[in-house]
Amino acid sequence: MTLLKREEWQGFVRDVDWTPTYVDYEAIYPEWHCGTGKVPREAWQGWEESYKVSYPEYVATQREKESSTYAVKAALQRSNTFQDLDEGWKSATKMHFGGVALVEYAAVIGELKMARFGLNGSWRNMATFGQLDEMRHAQITTFFGHEFVGQDAQYDWTQKTFHTNDWVPIALRNLFDGMMVAPNVVDLAIELPFTFETGFTNLQFIALSADALESGDVNFANMISSIQTDEARHSQQGGPTMEILVEHDPVRAQWVIDKSFWGSARAFAALTGPAMDYYTPLEHRKQSYREFMEEWIIDQYIHTIEDYGLKKPWYWDEFITGLDTWHHGLHMGLWYWRPTVWWRPKAGVSKDERAWLASKYPNWENVYGDKWDVMIDQVNANNVAATLPETLPWLCSTCHLPCCNATPSRNGEWKVRTWQLDYDGKKYHFCTNACRQIFWKDRDNVNHETLIDRFLAGQIQPMDVGGILNYMGMTPDAMGDDPDYGAWTRDYIGRAVEGIAAATVQGATQ
Amino acid sequence: MTQSRETVELGPADRAPELVPLNAIFATDFVQILVPVTTADTMTEVAAAVAHHVEGKRVRALPYEKVVIHNGRVVPAEMTVADAGFAPLDHIAVEYLVPKGVS
Repeated sequence: MTLLKREEWQGFVRDVDWTPTYVDYEAIYPEWHCGTGKVPREAWQGWEESYKVSYPEYVATQREKESSTYAVKAALQRSNTFQDLDEGWKSATKMHFGGVALVEYAAVIGELKMARFGLNGSWRNMATFGQLDEMRHAQITTFFGHEFVGQDAQYDWTQKTFHTNDWVPIALRNLFDGMMVAPNVVDLAIELPFTFETGFTNLQFIALSADALESGDVNFANMISSIQTDEARHSQQGGPTMEILVEHDPVRAQWVIDKSFWGSARAFAALTGPAMDYYTPLEHRKQSYREFMEEWIIDQYIHTIEDYGLKKPWYWDEFITGLDTWHHGLHMGLWYWRPTVWWRPKAGVSKDERAWLASKYPNWENVYGDKWDVMIDQVNANNVAATLPETLPWLCSTCHLPCCNATPSRNGEWKVRTWQLDYDGKKYHFCTNACRQIFWKDRDNVNHETLIDRFLAGQIQPMDVGGILNYMGMTPDAMGDDPDYGAWTRDYIGRAVEGIAAATVQGATQ
Repeated sequence: MTQSRETVELGPADRAPELVPLNAIFATDFVQILVPVTTADTMTEVAAAVAHHVEGKRVRALPYEKVVIHNGRVVPAEMTVADAGFAPLDHIAVEYLVPKGVS
């Protein structure tokens, strides 16, 4: 039997946009889900993608990927590789497992929405494969993390994280609910496959895979690479959607991409920034987070938006300035509030590490060195308790991350500013000007309550550190702590100490 | 004879102290923090409450007086939170009053 060529059957089996006769078109494709807006519905007929995968091909390829990934895993289970991994790298993987596994599951919902409400058969077909991809990613990430639960209880947060009210998953839930669950499918395609997947995760997975190999974690690299091959395909739903949207409604296209780029960049600063510049052992660092962002994210992003005739976002200067501060402030916050996280954050500020940081970020010592010095003195005075939190950091009402972004003053001093907004009888605080602007423009959207909102509303009882940790689902066996205080403080033993830290030193040594 | 019941609106000074959660930044600290104070606290006490979480822990202590800044103005040290009109969730900054000529 002669097989038909692909181009002879592809359109026939895939493009199934028949004309309904016994039900309104609007009932099948309601505007609030389909989100066509100013785009004429017929314009979506031009939506096309280049992969043109059939179901049998998809299944065969995915089977092959799964087999090879699990074969490597099975082989490595017989080795001692895990025991030899650096604690910093392990922390990076714990952040990844916990922060990603169930986001992949939320992405299943996003893909299913596009598979149901996308206004073109080829889009719906692509999204059907996309949801199968995301299901695989949720499963493979959960399974790979699960392997280590018996050895380290923090890996239990692979599955547990998004079932808790820890402040990190609240921040991510807010971001991804806004990106995958709340929007219509046109906005969703711009936010998820176009901005987040094409702009961030696709490239980050390549970098993360390289870092994993460098750190000797072949298993993790193997898992990440396998996932990335799917991302490369289903993220291609973004381009054709953007092409049509930008032609008919460029203002909306600009706003959606601007908003989602900002939210993605904030989350990346919290999760990828500390992992690259502090947790990865110095000898394994290939480039700084800023260099990574400039080379892999920003250049590509600028090319992409220019290709579509769009402009740089209005917040561009604030974003670029933030590449020198956001993740350093967030790292300090993750470290100081370490009992609230499910990994062991390395401080990563030994003399050699500080020299590296100062070489990559010329203002680092000026902005962060003095604070680390005070904490180093406290640790060296056997007063670790002084480096543990007794209150909450203020969490931004848009990104839900701590408000910890210093900016320079005219006198050269770097300070954290207040960005606040009185709206509807309530006062809101933000970490940056752009977070405040996005909140204002998007104020009718669903916004989760921040942990501060919940605390002040009396939802967290008792209203103390123990009550907060309990509300977050944090247990002593998973609670974060520095893996090796001596690693970053021993360089400074014996130096002269000033101020209250000096008084504490004397008190501690008497 | 009927007794009239008068209701008297108590001023802030006559009421029991009420909790006022504030958004605070201490000097050059790296993060805004939540600091609960009461309507009866003076600015000296407010500055101390904020400093408790930061001074000598993340920001090196300086031997200078501390002042509270609210809506861009320094609030007198003896003034209470109630008299200064602080509302819940207001932002304050606590700064050292560094003498001129000292860097």
